[in-house]
Amino acid sequence: MKKSKAVISLLTASAMTVGLMSTGTVAFAAVEESTSDLNVMLETPVQSLDPQQATDGTSFEVIADYTDGLMQMDSDGQAVPAIAESYDLSDDGLTYTFHLRDAQWSNGDPVTASDFVFGWQRAVDPDVASEYAYMLSDIGQVENAAEIIAGEKDKSELGVTAVDDKTLEVKLNVPVSYFLSLMYFPTFYPVNEAFFETCADTYGTSPDTTLSNGAFVLDTYEPAATEIHLTKNADYYDADNISLPGLNYQVIQDSQQALMSYQTGDLDLTLVNGEQVDQVEDDPEFMTIGAGYLWYVSPNIAAVPELANLNIRMAMTMAIDRESITTDVLKDGSLPTYTAVPMQFAAGPDGSDFSEDQSKFSDVCAYDTEKAADYWAKGLEELGETEIELDMIVDADDAPQKVAQVLKEQWETALPGLTVNLTVEPKKQRVEDLQNGNYEVALTRWGPDYADPMTYLGMWITDNSNNYGLWSSEEYDSIIAECTTGDLCTDAEGRWARMYDAEKLVMDDAVIFPLYTQANAEMLSSAVTGVDFHPCALNRVYKNAVKSE
Amino acid sequence: MKKYTLKRVLTSFFTLLVILLVLFVLMQLMPGSPFNDEKLNDDQRAALYVKYGLDQPVVVQFVNYAKNMLKGDLGVSYNISKNTPISQMIQTRLPISIGIGGLAVTIGAIVGLLLGLLAALKHNTIWDSLATIISVIGVSVPSYVFALGLSYSLGFRLQWFPMLYKANNAGMSSVLPSIALSMFTMASIARFTRSEMLEVLGSDYMLLAESKGISGSALIFRHALRNALIPIITVLAPLIVDLMTGSLVVEKIFAIPGVGSLLVNAIQSNDYNVVIALSFIYSAMYIVIMLVVDILYGVIDPRIRLAKKGD
Repeated sequence: MKKSKAVISLLTASAMTVGLMSTGTVAFAAVEESTSDLNVMLETPVQSLDPQQATDGTSFEVIADYTDGLMQMDSDGQAVPAIAESYDLSDDGLTYTFHLRDAQWSNGDPVTASDFVFGWQRAVDPDVASEYAYMLSDIGQVENAAEIIAGEKDKSELGVTAVDDKTLEVKLNVPVSYFLSLMYFPTFYPVNEAFFETCADTYGTSPDTTLSNGAFVLDTYEPAATEIHLTKNADYYDADNISLPGLNYQVIQDSQQALMSYQTGDLDLTLVNGEQVDQVEDDPEFMTIGAGYLWYVSPNIAAVPELANLNIRMAMTMAIDRESITTDVLKDGSLPTYTAVPMQFAAGPDGSDFSEDQSKFSDVCAYDTEKAADYWAKGLEELGETEIELDMIVDADDAPQKVAQVLKEQWETALPGLTVNLTVEPKKQRVEDLQNGNYEVALTRWGPDYADPMTYLGMWITDNSNNYGLWSSEEYDSIIAECTTGDLCTDAEGRWARMYDAEKLVMDDAVIFPLYTQANAEMLSSAVTGVDFHPCALNRVYKNAVKSE
Repeated sequence: MKKYTLKRVLTSFFTLLVILLVLFVLMQLMPGSPFNDEKLNDDQRAALYVKYGLDQPVVVQFVNYAKNMLKGDLGVSYNISKNTPISQMIQTRLPISIGIGGLAVTIGAIVGLLLGLLAALKHNTIWDSLATIISVIGVSVPSYVFALGLSYSLGFRLQWFPMLYKANNAGMSSVLPSIALSMFTMASIARFTRSEMLEVLGSDYMLLAESKGISGSALIFRHALRNALIPIITVLAPLIVDLMTGSLVVEKIFAIPGVGSLLVNAIQSNDYNVVIALSFIYSAMYIVIMLVVDILYGVIDPRIRLAKKGD
C-alpha cells in the first residue's frame, strides 16, 4: 500500500526582500480566547534556558515561547518583525539598523538595544564558550565576531552598537542574504544585563532567574524538569493576538505512555514513533511534519583505500533502496533523498525549494542495482580485490540502528563480496570517532541551522570539522568562498546557481550517500489550530495556536 | 559496641574516598567527551575544556574536586542541564526517588512478610501454593512489565491513577510506580520469610517455647518471626538502596523526575560531574544502610549484641 501522507511542506524563504517589510504592527481584532492550556509532549528535557548556551531544539522551543528576538518566524518560516519594529539596510548591504518597538521585560524594565548588545557579546565571549558562537562569526558575518571568539579582540569591539535605547546598529563583514532569518535564532536573543548580574551563575535555572519579553512567562521549571509550565504574558506587546492562556510541557521518554496520554486527552500534541504509526495512521489527527534533518552515510575517503575508489562509492550509493527505508522501516513520513541538501527548508530567490527536484542527480544517485553491480565489479578490478569488509558505526538509538541493519542487507545483497559489520556507539562517541577520522563508514545526520543551503554545503570544504571523510576539492572550496564572502554575496540568483554547482561536485564524487530527510510523525488534537511547525531554528511556535473545546 | 561503630564509620569514610578516586579514573577512561557535538569545532571544544578546568592533569582535577566536595560543591552539569549546580539538581530529584522507593520498600516488605508468614503457617495448603506462585511471578517478571501493565489497566483503562508523575499530585501519581517497584521486594521477602519461618518453626527452641505454654500470636511474632528476621533484613538492605536510588525504567515509563533517569542521561552524554556525584551518593547511601543494618542486627538478635560486647 502506498502511503501518501500529507507532509506539511514548510518552505522557508531565506532571502528577505526589504521592500516587503512592514513598519509597525497592524492592529487586528483580538483572537478567540482558548479555553485551556495547550498540553505538549517533549521527547527530551530542556538542556539550558540560557539563550546563548542552549544548543538543542527543545531548549530553543521553550526559550522562544517566552523570549522575542529582533525578528520572529511567521507560519511560513519568513522573518517578520518582533522586537524590531522596522529596520534599514545600507546600500552596500553591510549595515543593518534596527528600530525597536516599546516592549518590556517581565520585571518591568524596557527592552533596549543594549540588551541585544549584551546578549550578542555573551555569544562570542570566549569565557562563555557558547557552542553556537559561529552563528555570529562564520554564518552571520558580524564584524569582529571571529576575532573575538579566537581571543584576538575584546568583546566590546563586536560590530553591534546601541545607538540609543531604541536603535541597534549591526555591522557585517560581507552582505549576508539570510541575515534577518538568523534574528529569530535564540543565540541572537537579548539578555537584560542588570537582571543577569543579579542571578550570577544561576541565570536560566528557574522561573525566578529568567525574564520574559515574549508571549508567555515561565512559571514552573526545574533543571532537567519533566514538567514545564508557561502562562500568557499579559504585558506582551502583542498580547491581544495570543489565544492560549498557557502552555504545559510534559517530558515523556516512553512512547507508549505518550500515546496513551494523548488518547486520554492529557496531551494535545505528541510525537509518535515508527512502530506506532500502523495503529494511528488512519486517525485524522495523525500527521507527519518535515524535520529538516538529512541522514546520510559518510564513507571515510581519506583513510580507507577501498573507499577512496570512486567506483566503489558509486556502487554503494546506487545499491541503496531509499524508498524501502522510509516506507518499510521508518514509516514516519521521512522522505527518500537523493541530494546533498535536503528538501523543505531552503527556498531560493524565486521561492522554489532548493532540493525540490530529487532526480537532478539521478545519474549518480538513484536505486539501480544493475549499475551498482557494474560499478562494483569495476571498482574491485581496479583495486585488485574480490572481497571488501567494512565497519559501519551507528548511533545507539532505535531508528538509526534499524536503518543501518537494512543498509547492511541491501549492500551485501547487491554487491557480491562486500561484508558490512555494524558497530553501535553512543552519540557522543560516534561524533568523536567521526571528527577524528577514526571510522570506515558511518551513518550520521545533520540538521539545518538556518534557512539556506549553505548550512549543508559549508560542511564539505577542506578542513571543516564535519567533513568527516576529509574529501577535498579546490574547485568546491572556491565556489563556497565566492558564495559566502566573495562576489556572489550580493547576487542572489547567481549565488543560488553556484550552490547547485557545488552540490553537483559533492554528488558526482559520492562524498556522502544521502538517505532521507527526516520527518516526525505526530498526533495533534483536532481542537487545536495554528501551531506553526518549522524544520529549522524553532521547530514549533505556539503564538498563533488556538485551542477550542 | 562504640569502638566497633567508630571503626565501621572510619572504614566507611576511607571506602568513600577510594570510590571517589576510582570514579574519577573511570571517567577519564570513558570514551568520548561531554563536548562532542557535531556543531563544535576543535577551538570551541578546547575553550570549553579550559572553562571547566578539564585541561588540567587528572591529579589536579581530583584534588580540586575533592576540595570543592568537602565544601558541598558538586560542580556543574556540562550538558544535560548546562551550568546548573549539581547539588541543586539532586536536591529536587533525590527526595522524589526516595519517596517512591521508600513507599515501594514499605509495601513490598509488609505484603511480603504477610505472604511469607501465611505460606509458612499454612504450609502445604492451597494458601502456600498461592503465595509461592505470586512470589515466583514477582521475582521473575521485571518491574517495567508490571509498570506497563498497571499503567495500561489502572491508568489508561480505568483511569484511577495518573499515568504520568505530576508534581502537584505527587501522592496519587506515586501509587502505580511504587506498586510496580515493590513487586520484586515483596516476592523476595515472601520467599525468605517462608523458608526462614519454616526452619524456625521446626527448631527445638520453638518446641520448647510451645511446651512452656506460649501460644498464638506471641509464639509466632516474639519467638519465631524475630529469629527469622535476621536473614530477611540482610536481603532487604540492598533492595532498599536499589529502590531509593531510583529505577531507571520505571522512572522513564512514569516520567518521574528522579535520580535514576538523571544518572542514565548523564552517562549517555558523558556529563562527568553528574555521574560522579550520583555514583558517589549511591555508594554513600549503600554504605550507610549497611552500617545501619549491622547495628540493627545487634538490636534484633541479642546473641550478636552480646558477642560484640565481649570484643
